[in-house]
Amino acid sequence: MDEFESKLGQAMVRRPAPPSLKRRILDQRNRRRTERLHGRMVLWQRLAACLVLAAAVGGGFAWHHVQEERKGEAARQQVLTALRITSRALNELNTRLAAKRRDQEQ
Amino acid sequence: MSPKALWQPDFERLVDEHQSMVFSLAWRMTADRGLAEEIAQDVFLELDRHMNKIESPEHALFWLRRVAMSRSADALRRRRVRGVDLWVEIEENHGAMAEERSSPLGARLEQLLTTLPEPQRAALVLRYQEDMSPDEIAKTLESPVATVKSNLQRGLKSLRAKAESHLREFVRAEKSMGGA
Repeated sequence: MDEFESKLGQAMVRRPAPPSLKRRILDQRNRRRTERLHGRMVLWQRLAACLVLAAAVGGGFAWHHVQEERKGEAARQQVLTALRITSRALNELNTRLAAKRRDQEQ
Repeated sequence: MSPKALWQPDFERLVDEHQSMVFSLAWRMTADRGLAEEIAQDVFLELDRHMNKIESPEHALFWLRRVAMSRSADALRRRRVRGVDLWVEIEENHGAMAEERSSPLGARLEQLLTTLPEPQRAALVLRYQEDMSPDEIAKTLESPVATVKSNLQRGLKSLRAKAESHLREFVRAEKSMGGA
């Protein structure tokens, strides 16, 4: 290293940072952290609201489906009962007709 | 357990230890005290976001130097795009910068440094302020070692040529003052 380089090295010593720099950095850091935390809280709140909404809509659909199934089952039971009554009435009519035919033959 | 595994980065301590280094790099690159303060602030806030990736004190130092240099280069580029006459501004700002120096020769050398092209200035600042080797400078600036060496040689040659007459006067003056 020649004289010029050593002079250059002497001229290029680190300069002290302004005394307020550290405080400003820490203040800015705290502000950003608070903003980030607030942003995260808002995100979680939105997520929770979405989940509640999805659960409500899903529950509504499920309830509607169960109600429909219940109505379908009731209708099926009614049809079966009607068929049973009809079948019994027809059986009775058949028995009577058969008895009447037997009487006529005798 | 290795010392690296034991090391826990402490943000406030890193700011204490390295704020003058980051600020000086930014100031020497931009020659603007206000801009250098902004850059230093940005660099440390960026460090805060990347604290989990910092593995050791050496890594923190390397990271801070790299980001400070790249942020300073970005700031210079932005000013150039904005159409600010950077060299006029640098001359003006350096007037104020020079007044703070105790040695007029040092002030003159710093002033001349700002007239060099950005890659040469970056290489010289890292070489003489941070006492880094060309290999370390190449890693920091993410450029080939040969380019860094060439920038160092050209920058030094150019700076020497610009300062030669000035330096001679001062060396002579210092010698005569020392002799008296």
